[in-house]
Amino acid sequence: MLKVEHLTKVYPGGTVALKDLSFEVSDGEFLVIIGLSGSGKSTLLRCINRLIDPTEGKVILDGIDVTASKGAELRHIRRKIGMIFQHFNLVKRSSVLTNVLNGRLGYLNPWTSTLGFFPADEKKRAMDALKRLSIDDKVDSRADALSGGQQQRVGIARTLMQEPTLILADEPVASLDPVLAHSIMQYLEQLNKEDKVTVICSLHYLDLIQRYATRVIGLKDGVKVFEGSPAEINREKFKEIYGEEAQDVRATALE
Amino acid sequence: MTDKKIFPKSLSVLLSIILPGLGQVFQRKYRSGISFFIAFATAFAVTLWYGKPIWFIIPAVIWIWNIWDIVSFPKGKGLVIPLLLWLLMAYGIGGQVTEFNLQALFSNFSRSRDMVSQLFKFDFVQPKAERIEGYTDIQSPCSDFPPAADHEENGVRVYVVQTCANVGDVITVIGEGFWPNQLTTFYWQNPIGGKAMATEATSDANGKVTLEWKVLSIVHTTAPDPTIPQIHRIKVSQSRPIGGMELSAVGGYIVQGIYETLALALLSTIIGAIFAIPFGFLAARNLMTANPVSTVIYMIVRTVLNIVRSIEALIMAIIFVIIVGLGPFPGMIALTVHTVAALGKLYSEVIEGIDPGPIEAIKATGANWLQVARYAVIPQIVPAFTSLTIYRWDINVRSSTIIGFVGGGGIGFFLWQWIVLQDFRAVGSAFVAIAVVVVILDFFSAKIRERLV
Amino acid sequence: MQKYKPFLKALRKLLITIVLVVLIILSIRVTEPDLVKLVSSFPKAESIMGQLLSPVLFDRESEKITVSQMVPVPCDSVPSLVSADSGPRIILDPPCGSPKDVINLRGVELPPNAEISLRWILPDGGLLSIKNIMTDDKGEIDMPLEIRPITTATDGKAAQISFEVTLPNGKLVVAQTLKDVIDAMFVTIFMALIATTLGTIIAVPLSFLAASNITRRGALGTGVYYLVRAFLNIIRSYEPLVLATIFAMIVGFGSPFAGVIALSITTAASLGKMFSEAVESIDTGPIEAITATGANRIQVVMYAVVPQIIPDFLSFTIYHWDINVRISTIIGFVGGGGIGYLLSQRINTLQYSQAGTALLAIILVVWALDFLSSEIRKSLV
Ligand SMILES: Nc1ncnc2c1ncn2[C@@H]1O[C@H](COP(=O)(O)OP(=O)(O)OP(=O)(O)O)[C@@H](O)[C@H]1O
Ligand SMILES: [Mg+2]
Repeated sequence: MLKVEHLTKVYPGGTVALKDLSFEVSDGEFLVIIGLSGSGKSTLLRCINRLIDPTEGKVILDGIDVTASKGAELRHIRRKIGMIFQHFNLVKRSSVLTNVLNGRLGYLNPWTSTLGFFPADEKKRAMDALKRLSIDDKVDSRADALSGGQQQRVGIARTLMQEPTLILADEPVASLDPVLAHSIMQYLEQLNKEDKVTVICSLHYLDLIQRYATRVIGLKDGVKVFEGSPAEINREKFKEIYGEEAQDVRATALE
Repeated sequence: MTDKKIFPKSLSVLLSIILPGLGQVFQRKYRSGISFFIAFATAFAVTLWYGKPIWFIIPAVIWIWNIWDIVSFPKGKGLVIPLLLWLLMAYGIGGQVTEFNLQALFSNFSRSRDMVSQLFKFDFVQPKAERIEGYTDIQSPCSDFPPAADHEENGVRVYVVQTCANVGDVITVIGEGFWPNQLTTFYWQNPIGGKAMATEATSDANGKVTLEWKVLSIVHTTAPDPTIPQIHRIKVSQSRPIGGMELSAVGGYIVQGIYETLALALLSTIIGAIFAIPFGFLAARNLMTANPVSTVIYMIVRTVLNIVRSIEALIMAIIFVIIVGLGPFPGMIALTVHTVAALGKLYSEVIEGIDPGPIEAIKATGANWLQVARYAVIPQIVPAFTSLTIYRWDINVRSSTIIGFVGGGGIGFFLWQWIVLQDFRAVGSAFVAIAVVVVILDFFSAKIRERLV
Repeated sequence: MQKYKPFLKALRKLLITIVLVVLIILSIRVTEPDLVKLVSSFPKAESIMGQLLSPVLFDRESEKITVSQMVPVPCDSVPSLVSADSGPRIILDPPCGSPKDVINLRGVELPPNAEISLRWILPDGGLLSIKNIMTDDKGEIDMPLEIRPITTATDGKAAQISFEVTLPNGKLVVAQTLKDVIDAMFVTIFMALIATTLGTIIAVPLSFLAASNITRRGALGTGVYYLVRAFLNIIRSYEPLVLATIFAMIVGFGSPFAGVIALSITTAASLGKMFSEAVESIDTGPIEAITATGANRIQVVMYAVVPQIIPDFLSFTIYHWDINVRISTIIGFVGGGGIGYLLSQRINTLQYSQAGTALLAIILVVWALDFLSSEIRKSLV
């Protein structure tokens, strides 16, 4: 469903974040991207839904060239791609309900939604999404009154509103403790398995990778250094991806 | 939420009829209750004051809405309409009492375009020039025995052939001893010193200048009786540039005004800051509420600071001008007093915000109040005090630009004169000077404060 | 190098001190502080302060009452009425008379030491003054009264002797000054309200233009950014009162409108600066998140930017309203209108007790609004 071809991103400062990166993702996959901090994971995910414009190369989603589209067409592509963020990126001072409804903006009449009106059936849809993530009791709270795990679930609910075919998750559990991390990953897995949503997710913890990924891509300085099944990742591969110095720290994460 | 005892609805309705918002309060909808009360009370007070019966509709509708809110709204969501009504009233009445009329701005603007264009012809400097001048007095209209119109001084002689002038006459004014081949200005000054006529002529190769000048009726407009002969004066002058620029008269006043303004601001800030320090300590809750005596002092000092702070320095300046007379001094006193109050409050907040740890530690060593202040408090507060003082200096520079409006010295004093005299070029120049000085000082004070933090 | 560091530091301190001292000396020379004058004008200050501190709030209401007594001329021309026996009244001895008679007139229970004007009310309704007379310490008058022929009763109507006295009835009423002050205070508050509103409306677009994270993109954007910033800084350097002079020259002195415009402009400038700082400090995460859902630009601003800045904007605006009320208390000095105008008038006409009323009103209102605005702002965060 997704084809990335020769993707290169050079930031204005001259940093080369991605270098000639190509890979394919097919329907229903749970693809995990791993790599050291600064290796270009966030950049890659943001190039896919064009939050960042790549310098060169193409991203093709279901036969449509994402890199060439703009305006309304681009927005239509985006609304089918959900995105989940490390820091949740909720509007802190808005209510949980509004935050979830925000996920529907791409579908709504731009005029009425600009004035702050949401149709009743959208509100119902939002409630359903919140129920599914079992945080419907917090619907009227302000987003910043929630704990990290709850905020991430609101983030997922927001994504659900988009009825996505593809979810990009940028280190969705990096600011959560291990127990919460598993619960959030389970929601993603559920979406992947039950709703047949393709997931591309960047992760740091090897146990999570081996538990949830169907395929893994390793990045180092913007270059693809590994592609294969999670089972193929061993100490050697890990050292290769994460660098010699990081060996000890990461090795413990391996056990 | 459901197990809270809800006040009986009928009683709430009754309460809300008696006093808007009261029923809501009893239903534990405090926010909407207080909002309704404030909206109703202010709307009622304003319409009562304004007196036009039609506006009473607004508090009435708010009152009805308040009842309806308690009867049928489950969640106090009905505040939008009263708010809109309230705003309608506030801006409706407000616009009228402040004589708000944008059209006046534009219609007058085109009328006063000349004035505005004058504002942009700044008057700071003029080419350096040397002058040569002479004058003669002349009687107008002619009496039976007019005195000769002839005057010589420093080798410059000015005389009028006809000795006196009636309106409509053409007189011949001759000046001798001027620079040759030079533009010469003639200037008719009426008996009260006003400019009645002016014209120009060019001197000949010998430095003699001759002008045939028609006497216009305008020269008599200021006289109570234009038939009574009076002494007028004809001034003749030449000026030629000698290279370079110098401050114009207005420029000189601006420099003096800005200098005064800065001096005022500096002195009042420094003196004010010194006096504010003890007040800051006396108004700090954490230092003063230990025993009843100091608590009373604390409350008195706080109250006085708040009262003085709420009176603008300009208002104090009027009073001090009356007491000690015109000049920068009353302005300085007013600014100082206001500075003491404002800084005292800010200082006290700094003191209240300090880390109590060191205070405890020093107290534990058996130190007295003064020692605690000196060794536990002062080291913590000096940077914040300095920063606040510089910030205050900024404000004082601005304030001292207006303190002169009421006679308190500084650029404002001159600015006010120029506004009264409608000397728009000077007004424009003063505006530029104020902006330049204040922006520059702002910039530096921000830089210094950044470094302090 | 290390060795010299403390030395250099001390030198710098010394230098700063010297510069400061020189500046202070120069300042003292221009400002001419005259402590002798300050002390010698203390009695004057004391009397002014005394009056300022005793504001006029209430007056004792007094009633004007007419005291009159019928005088039948000649006697028996009309039946004489029994006169009242308490309260301010006139007692005639004898109670009637013929023309040219001189009878004794006493007035009792009148206000002591008050001047009253005695007059005849003739049978035809005409008035005839008799004389002005002062009551004594006990509030009585006692004088001979000559009966004039003109007072002869006609058509069964007798002449009356009458005067008016004002008697304080002990009721407290709101003094006219206080009413004027309340009037002016309302105008002042409205000036601040309208100026704050207008200023805020202008400030919002300006603040976005002056926010580096929004505007500073490309050559044009950077140009606009610096231009707007410079503009805001220049306007901010003027006291509202200084700007008010310009607008007073344009729309004419004597209307609060000039002050409102000036205040709006300075409000726009300083709020523009504060708002732009709020815009610059917003969290970009939500913008990214909402863009990623396929929302358009306006929706992104509406749902990711606006909720983040609204509380700050509101809080700054309310804070500024507070400041503006304070400034509007003086803006009337040049523009006219509002409490400042009234205050300066009263001071210029040396009515210090009345000025005291205005000062009291200013203190109370500024205080109340200070409190209210800080409470509202607390609840906004
Ligand atoms: N807006 C930007 N401007 C310039 N350089 C950037 C920008 N964003 C990222 N980079 C650089 O691009 C490189 C890749 O960054 P990216 O954020 O994609 O890494 P990452 O793998 O997501 O790291 P992390 O695990 O820390 O999130 C880094 O060197 C980073 O410094
Ligand atoms: Mg990242």
